[in-house]
Amino acid sequence: MQKHSQKEHLYKLLVIGDLGVGKTSIIKRYVHQNFSPHYRATIGVDFALKVLSWDAETVVRLQLWDIAGQERFGNMTRVYYREAMGAFIVFDVTRPATFEAVTKWKEDLDSKLVLPNGKPVPTVLLANKCDQGIDVLMNNGIKMDQFCKENGFVGWFETSAKENININEASRCLVKHIIDSESDPVQSVEPDIIKPHLNSSKIVSCSACFKS
Amino acid sequence: SIQHVYGAQHPPFDPLLHGTLIKPGSKPPATPVKLKKVSTFQEFESNTSDAWDLGDDDDELLAIAAENLNTEVVMETAHKVIQNHSKLQEQHKFQEEHLQEEKQVGSAELTSVPCGDNRLVKSVSEGHTSSSSDNVSESSSMQRSQSLPQTSTPPLVSGMADYNTSVTPALTEREASRLDKFKQLLAGPNTDLEELRKLSWSGIPKRVRPIAWKLLSGYLPANVDRRESTLKRKRKEYFAFVEQYYDSRNDENHQDTYRQIHIDIPRMSPEVLRLQPKVTEIFERILFIWAIRHPASGYVQGINDLVTPFFVVFVCEYIEEEEVENFDVSSLPEEVLQNIEADSYWCMSKLLDGIQDNYTFAQPGIQKKVKMLEELVSRIDEQVHRHLDQHEVKYLQFAFRWMNNLLMREVPLHCTIRLWDTYQVSTFLHFH
Repeated sequence: MQKHSQKEHLYKLLVIGDLGVGKTSIIKRYVHQNFSPHYRATIGVDFALKVLSWDAETVVRLQLWDIAGQERFGNMTRVYYREAMGAFIVFDVTRPATFEAVTKWKEDLDSKLVLPNGKPVPTVLLANKCDQGIDVLMNNGIKMDQFCKENGFVGWFETSAKENININEASRCLVKHIIDSESDPVQSVEPDIIKPHLNSSKIVSCSACFKS
Repeated sequence: SIQHVYGAQHPPFDPLLHGTLIKPGSKPPATPVKLKKVSTFQEFESNTSDAWDLGDDDDELLAIAAENLNTEVVMETAHKVIQNHSKLQEQHKFQEEHLQEEKQVGSAELTSVPCGDNRLVKSVSEGHTSSSSDNVSESSSMQRSQSLPQTSTPPLVSGMADYNTSVTPALTEREASRLDKFKQLLAGPNTDLEELRKLSWSGIPKRVRPIAWKLLSGYLPANVDRRESTLKRKRKEYFAFVEQYYDSRNDENHQDTYRQIHIDIPRMSPEVLRLQPKVTEIFERILFIWAIRHPASGYVQGINDLVTPFFVVFVCEYIEEEEVENFDVSSLPEEVLQNIEADSYWCMSKLLDGIQDNYTFAQPGIQKKVKMLEELVSRIDEQVHRHLDQHEVKYLQFAFRWMNNLLMREVPLHCTIRLWDTYQVSTFLHFH
């Protein structure tokens, strides 16, 4: 761990999804290692910073943008999305309507934000509040895998901010995809290669993201 | 050259009329200044604190302000604020700006910020008789504020604590005379609303605040004889709405609204209030009825915070000397609670009438106000503006909530309440 050999990455990550799904809770758990059932509703956007020792040579700083979930604020998202490198889209497993909104959030994201190489930003889907035992959607992991492929997510995780389940894992998955996409500059200079489902080939290669 | 510092006044000072436009280049150099010279600050404060009372005669006020200001002290305090509150600076200035009705003022106006804070503290204790009891109640309320999960609160509050020691008996006397003025004005038979606005601009004593707010918002008529019947009628009207609409909260077309409110109420501040089931019920009803009756905006997050100041102030009408945040609301008689609920609903409605485009599609009101803030900062503190610009920080990224929640999230509740004394004078639209 010599100073001169350390690399530093700074990534802006978005955390989006319907109101009350637990975006703020996930971030507080991830960054401050605590949980409260009484975080106040996010208005506009809040920020948090997480520093990861990625490996012996690499430090990753994550700037987490906690974006308000209410639809009325949707017009502001363009300002908040700019220059993000990755995103989490969160839904609440106890409220099916929040899962239905996931595709809406993904479309909003992809329509307003692309990487410099023209590709959509790597996005991980979080099925939060999995501790609640009202697991209406998760009984079929294969369906979720399918859903992710069809909608361009690089992976999905059942998470619980309350019980600290899978949040670190989800973050590592997202960061790995960001680093991979950064060290993959060939495609960016050859636009011909870019296809709508380019990410799907990567999904298979990341075993961490998909539980079998 | 000496920059003037103007205390809050009504009507607000217009530098265009007084020919004191400030050059943007007159900013102090950014050298760090230690906090040690408290006496200098006190000197400055005593020179300017009386500015808050004047207002009967603007020219007189301006003359005094110009005479008493010591440039060194002004600059030093400005540095202190810049150094120690670099983040808060924006907010402070913003509030101060609004107190001055968005007129162009120089960098020296930063110095009036601590003075303004101090005033906010004092106004909370109005109605107390001895200054020692003031200090006790203030320090306890401050500790609570510090425990709020807001990054911005502690520096602001500790700043107030520093200056708190300068409360003098003379001010208490002054406050007593202010209270008398208010009482006379409110006694009728017809309250002169213009006079009430003038007086309220620099803060309303706690004891008369409930009735003053009801008058300023237009909820109560100026004529004393008509007040009681108006209250009766409006309270009846509100509960007729509740009867008519509240059962529909689980209907298909309303359940989304109700669910959002229901999710948000446990997430509002202050913490102690929201943990009381009685308060939760009342807030849910107020917000749901308002949302149903205002479909153009519906319920938007942040509106829930706007009920709180009204509710807290109106509860104060029925309790003695107690801190509302620690008060068990359910100990009030049912009828009293209903009155508080209806009054809060109507006053909040009046407030929202003036700022409804804050909450309609795309929130044009807020977009406009954030834009105004940006223009304002670019004019009065180009350095800050440039800094934000260089780091590609957009004003919408940090100032959105200031506007959306009318600063409810940025300052302790008792400061918001004091700010609202002033806001109500020239309608909220002007400020936010």
